[in-house]
Amino acid sequence: MKIIVLNCGSSSIKYQLFELPSGEVLAKGLVDKIGLKGSLIKHSRNDGTEVKLEGEILDHQIGIEYLLGILISEKYGSLKGLNEIDAVGHRVVHAGEKFNGSVYITPEVVAALEECIDLAPLHNPPNLKGIYSITKLLPEIPQVGVFDTAFHQTMPDYVYLYGIPFSIYEKYKIRRYGFHGSSHRYVSQRAAELIGKKLEDLKIITCHLGNGASIAAIKNGQSLDTSMGMTPIEGLMMGTRTGDLDIGAFIQIVNKEEIDISTANTLVNKHSGMLGVSGVSSDMRDVEKAASEGNERAKVTLEMYYYRIRKYIGSYAAAMGGVDVIVFTGGVGENDAATRYHSTKGLEFMGLNFDQSKNVGLRGKEATLTTDDSKVKVMVIPTNEELVIALDTFEIVSAL
Amino acid sequence: MSERLEDFSLGKSMQPKGTIQKIGVVGCGAMGQEIALLISQSGIEVAFIDVSDERIEEVFRRLEKALDARISKWGLTGSEKKLIMSRISGSTDYSIIEDCDIVFETVNTKKKGTSLELRQEIFKKIESVVRPDAVICSNTATLMISEIASVLKNPGRAMGLHFFSPVSKVKIIEAVRSVNTTDETYALVSKLALMIGKKLINVNESAGNISTRMLVPLINEACEILMEGVATVSDIDETMKETSGLQMGPFEMADKIGLDKVLKWMENLYADFGDQKYKPSPVLKRLVRANLVGRRVGEGFYLYQDEKRLVKQGPITNLGRV
Repeated sequence: MKIIVLNCGSSSIKYQLFELPSGEVLAKGLVDKIGLKGSLIKHSRNDGTEVKLEGEILDHQIGIEYLLGILISEKYGSLKGLNEIDAVGHRVVHAGEKFNGSVYITPEVVAALEECIDLAPLHNPPNLKGIYSITKLLPEIPQVGVFDTAFHQTMPDYVYLYGIPFSIYEKYKIRRYGFHGSSHRYVSQRAAELIGKKLEDLKIITCHLGNGASIAAIKNGQSLDTSMGMTPIEGLMMGTRTGDLDIGAFIQIVNKEEIDISTANTLVNKHSGMLGVSGVSSDMRDVEKAASEGNERAKVTLEMYYYRIRKYIGSYAAAMGGVDVIVFTGGVGENDAATRYHSTKGLEFMGLNFDQSKNVGLRGKEATLTTDDSKVKVMVIPTNEELVIALDTFEIVSAL
Repeated sequence: MSERLEDFSLGKSMQPKGTIQKIGVVGCGAMGQEIALLISQSGIEVAFIDVSDERIEEVFRRLEKALDARISKWGLTGSEKKLIMSRISGSTDYSIIEDCDIVFETVNTKKKGTSLELRQEIFKKIESVVRPDAVICSNTATLMISEIASVLKNPGRAMGLHFFSPVSKVKIIEAVRSVNTTDETYALVSKLALMIGKKLINVNESAGNISTRMLVPLINEACEILMEGVATVSDIDETMKETSGLQMGPFEMADKIGLDKVLKWMENLYADFGDQKYKPSPVLKRLVRANLVGRRVGEGFYLYQDEKRLVKQGPITNLGRV
């Protein structure tokens, strides 16, 4: 079965063509700068053929039409025709309380997702554009929606509610939802496979550390808690986002700086986090370099970053009544040995014996970083959200 | 020959018709600059025209400065600034706007008297270079769009579109259709409003639209109260802010707009309606004659030093000076 996975952003579309059930990636690419000057498609095929094509891409539908055109072209394509496509899987950021798993897309599902636009005004509209476009261009082909929030729908009410008037939750569904669901789900399943135990018997803490970052407590295969909330701002300190911040401090910032709410939103989303504290960069590698050269603010930034991860690991171990495995994934989690070392340092009391010799130099590969007798295992598992979307799509479409 | 993306089209989608890709701005003063930034920030290309190469360099410097100020106040990031600036080009040559979908005339003349003829000249020049389906808009507040557009071969393509400063914050634009404005013209302007996140307030053609016509008597009456010695500049402003929910008092507002500009509005409205309530107050005229036109020059009803507004202590007979 051939499945296209689409991840539509506000001005870009990431896509991959999968062969299922093998999971082989036949081709992938990026449609960039949609509706802007200099729009282009970067496409690569699994035999190493690469091409960059520039032209006018005024909207998402045009972008998707071109990428389909490339996929069936003689020179760069991987398909003989559009009829070879069996299904399309979409990444959708926010499904609110509507869906707790991936779904076959019907007009009713689309209507439900349109109702969630309020919860993710920046992300859901472009995700929906992808669905509208495929509906127009390939009306006969089944589509599946895979949601960032769905995996965390198992969180109990005492975890997802905020301490605000209950009527506000009822009126606007303001509560914690969590994100990176596909990633947390994939790496927790993979961890269970790798250690040869049933997911249902494990307490796993998954750390997805990229430019955005979140941690999840996964007990018996279900998400019990996660660090991101109603929006992706809550939780860990990130590249440019604050993470946890006292609302009183936020109000004080707005008053003292005399800024409006939309500017304050930019402040906490784009000017804060590692970039804001260090003044160097939002990129972990730049901050580490500056710290190694003696930059004091860069040093404290790294300490904050590690400390917050460690704090969440501790609290999630308490929440689950223990922990069997801690998984690192995402750009930083997969590649940065220092982050893995420092954010699990001092956890020997939990029965975690870190083996630095397995950690140093390890980049982007599955591995266990603890000693063989360590009660708590620390693992690195590269995430693959696109594969999760492809697999879910395969499963749902096969059962139709 | 290099490959084009278009060669991979499946021919299933039409490029969306009427999608706005490029906007022209003729006369890039304070208002033109604010409009250029807003439009570029919305992802649309902007080409502006000004009178000299020096002036164009100056405009780019000011655009950069405005964006830097927003970065320092957390409203923008450095990479967003780069993106916004990359979509703006400037020239003295009208050919730069020939592929624009909509062109704004935003001239700001300091000369005495009406700017009608100047605006008409610019309208004609714009029409001579743009596509037949391009729309031409004027940012005038007090002149009639029907009259400005009367010099066009196709007056149906013209509309009045009056922005308010600060353009990035004020959510509305006054939209004025002339007797000739076509539905296509209005539809394209509506689409632009949607793209840049503004609401159109539809106004039937009338000098001063809503905002200027309400504002002019307010400022004039404040001047009367001041001249009669009823209250001071700062007390009048404070009272109006506290009791009427205004963000700025009438004098603060007048200083910010520029007293020369306020005077011109008054003269235009007085000429059009002949009503005494628009007749410029003597104190305003005296300030303009002395070139004490407000914040821009450091003095008007108030003094401005180091970005601070100071109350003038002298009598109004001496224009507030001690």
